[in-house]
Amino acid sequence: MNAPSSTSPRRPLPSARRRPGSLRRSAAPPALLAALLLAAAGCDAGRDAGDEAPPPTSWGRGGDGAAAEARPRVPEEERYGGTVVVAGPGDLLTMNPLIVADRPSLEHQIHLLHITLVAEGPGAEPLPRLAESWSFDARGDRVTFRLRDDVRWHDGHPVTARDVAFTWERAIDPAVPFANPAYFDAWEAAEVLDEHTIRFTVRPRAHLLYGWMRTAILPEHILGDVPPEELERHPFGTTEPVGAGPFRFLRRVPGDRWVFEANPDFPEALGGRPYVDRYVYRQIPDGAVAEAELKRGRVHLLLDVTPDAAARLAADTAVAVAGFAAPEYAFIAWNTRRPPLTDPAVRRALTLAIDREGIREVVRGPYGRVLAGPVGRWHPAFDSTLAPLPFAPDSARTLLAAAGWTDSDGDGIRDRDGRSFQFDLLHTPRDDWAQVAAIAQANLRDVGVEVSTRVREQAALVPLVTGPDRRFDAFLVGWVRDVMLDDRDMFACDRPTSPFQFTGWCRPELDALLDSLQLVVGPDVQARLVARYGRMVAEAQPYTFLYDVESVLARRRELRGVRPDARAAILGAAEWWLEPRARGDRAESRR
Amino acid sequence: MAGAPRPRGPRGVPALIRYLLRRALQAVPLLLGIATLIFIVLHLAPGDPTALWFDPSIPPEVLERMRASMGLDRPLHVQYLSWLRAFLTGDFGYSFSQYRPVRDVLADALPNTLLLGGASLVVTFVAGGALGAFQAVRQYRRSDAVLTLAMLFLYSMPGFWLGLMLVLLVASGAVPGLDLPVSGMTSVDHDLLGPLGKVADVAAHLVLPTIALGLASAAGVARYARGEMLEVIRQDYVRTARAKGLPERVVILRHALRNALLPLISLLGLYLPVLFGGAVVIEVVFSWPGMGRLMYDGILARDYPLVMAASFLFGVLVLAGSLLADLLYAVADPRIRHV
Repeated sequence: MNAPSSTSPRRPLPSARRRPGSLRRSAAPPALLAALLLAAAGCDAGRDAGDEAPPPTSWGRGGDGAAAEARPRVPEEERYGGTVVVAGPGDLLTMNPLIVADRPSLEHQIHLLHITLVAEGPGAEPLPRLAESWSFDARGDRVTFRLRDDVRWHDGHPVTARDVAFTWERAIDPAVPFANPAYFDAWEAAEVLDEHTIRFTVRPRAHLLYGWMRTAILPEHILGDVPPEELERHPFGTTEPVGAGPFRFLRRVPGDRWVFEANPDFPEALGGRPYVDRYVYRQIPDGAVAEAELKRGRVHLLLDVTPDAAARLAADTAVAVAGFAAPEYAFIAWNTRRPPLTDPAVRRALTLAIDREGIREVVRGPYGRVLAGPVGRWHPAFDSTLAPLPFAPDSARTLLAAAGWTDSDGDGIRDRDGRSFQFDLLHTPRDDWAQVAAIAQANLRDVGVEVSTRVREQAALVPLVTGPDRRFDAFLVGWVRDVMLDDRDMFACDRPTSPFQFTGWCRPELDALLDSLQLVVGPDVQARLVARYGRMVAEAQPYTFLYDVESVLARRRELRGVRPDARAAILGAAEWWLEPRARGDRAESRR
Repeated sequence: MAGAPRPRGPRGVPALIRYLLRRALQAVPLLLGIATLIFIVLHLAPGDPTALWFDPSIPPEVLERMRASMGLDRPLHVQYLSWLRAFLTGDFGYSFSQYRPVRDVLADALPNTLLLGGASLVVTFVAGGALGAFQAVRQYRRSDAVLTLAMLFLYSMPGFWLGLMLVLLVASGAVPGLDLPVSGMTSVDHDLLGPLGKVADVAAHLVLPTIALGLASAAGVARYARGEMLEVIRQDYVRTARAKGLPERVVILRHALRNALLPLISLLGLYLPVLFGGAVVIEVVFSWPGMGRLMYDGILARDYPLVMAASFLFGVLVLAGSLLADLLYAVADPRIRHV
């Protein structure tokens, strides 16, 4: 059998390959210039994100550590070749960037197959990608992008400004179910000045360029004739994707794998040809089987590893396990329309009574931290001074008694006006939720509150909490958030029917603050507003925030260069390389 | 028998053809009933496909647009009639969760499930038949007792547990030389292999899921086979064969076994639904890209068109299998005539 590495053409190596997370020297001046221009225009480029950025990933957790990085250095020219096999529990749904998709699909679109107009820096600042530079006019209402002229679609057509304009037109088209219209709600008009220059008219907005970091460019020459309403069903997303990124689409076996190959024509200035010849994403739904495949060396990298599995895998000397900040947190939402949850003192008491540190320890182990407010550590404006409420059952008892909830009949359950303090806690059927619910139930029982846990499948739970009559007392959930941080649907008074306004809690002054958050562009002001927002929510406790999540990856040690962070688990996949002994035979799953 | 006239109907249509036509016609309302029942049950379950996207970043208008695009904003009876009309014209609709036409999704998955199901059927009947016959010949001996215990154990074990145990056994390297794939249907280098290599590759991937899916059913078949064999070896013609001085091996294999196994054909129709049901779990455990996994994922995602078409197809397969079993039984036993 031919190992893939032996059949791929070799090109002269880039003389100065970029370090992961940074751009090549040649790209730096435009980046700096753009950052300065954006800063002058009041935009977010150029923010010094160093102290706010998610901490660099450490492979030290779980028994990896320095040993892995202290291996003999492999010369750059010997890093090319091999097939890297990545596995996750779900299939990649689509490679169409304008279709609602899950996070792994989005990451593979942005970092593997496609190219974005600008890249996302460690602190969510824009960095050059397809656009080698950009500038705002003096009033800040027009931004002009100068595109690279050496980026080509994988079918050979050049990527031009028309593709960028086309992507934007489709993204804002109401007939296209684009998941994040907020990305482009401040982008009003596009004008293609020439093949590689495009000018947009914009309104002031926080994180103005963020949408272009998270939305890959579409090929107009392929999709230009497809009616917008049919874009979702076009095979471009599933069986015929064509990108312009570092990897080309090779093959898909639905429900099983996606196969990509290195793009030899990817511009050197953007990193050039990836080290590995092929990148295979495999869906392995069963966690135990995925673990077994990793241990046997038939998978090199496992995504979405559970903390339990991480602990087991860390014992394998051939495997390294690491966590990294993910834009995700878990919480209990209280329906503040229903007494006694209407009373903020009662909600505060419930939070004080729940041992969130214990929950974090049991459910996430080292891969999570107790959270105080709605903005987690992944966010550049995270407020590290906002401390979580302590676990204080006695304080909870005092608050509940002050609110009139006492155990008058001696049955161990508090009551008031003849009514016992009891409610239902809903959650979806997940092992970790069951653990959280059990601990919270026991904690609350200790302070005289009776909780019944109810398990509902997600499709059944969502209508209960998002429907107009909000048929729930409390529910336990976790979700993935976004740097743009538009939480108005969750807490705004003027959006009472929003599906995500399930708690019913709002404050008019918070509405104004949340509106401002969408407009304020200075990072310092942003941080202050985010801090105020966090404190208002933490004060009222419409949610009991539990923990923010660190995602966990497990990799074979022979796979090198993996450095995920909050931006993506597969960040910099073009920089991954396999040790020579792992190419060919070890990379294949058939012997 | 050469020269014997074949039974024919009043218009000269062979009886077998008439029988097949009648069974096919009987199947039509049954399948329509199955599809309608699935439609009702699926829509009775709360929630819809957009519940999958529980994300405040996605505005309600986008979800409404998705609902409209899926046709879920229409009254239920309109959805049903629209689906039925399309279905009867061979249009299975569009999979919400796979972003592809259901026809294409099923075309990818069905051959994989048929392959796994077919291989499991072979294991079920060959292994079950052989073990049952062996037990019957050694009735009440220690080997019979041990095998009975083992068969009962396997019969009682859920398929997913058996599958996971096989995975752990192979992956742990506890059995030297047993280096079988534990997930997927092909290797990552499958497309680089030659034709024979590709066949061997798929065969290697097939081993564990086939065992996991077929073994429990094989245990059931073994119980039947044992009973049938015990009955047959007491028959006069077997005694006659022995009296003629034939070797015991010939008596058992040529005279007794063949007749004992014939009734097992009727089990084919019974085991097909079991196999397809088991495939749902086994395909998840072994990452086998087949219909079972499609059903599992489709139900969780409320992918109505996909689940309805896949269920319908399962129904067709089960009915076809049952019909095939009847036909095979008729072929095997000349006393049976379809009229």
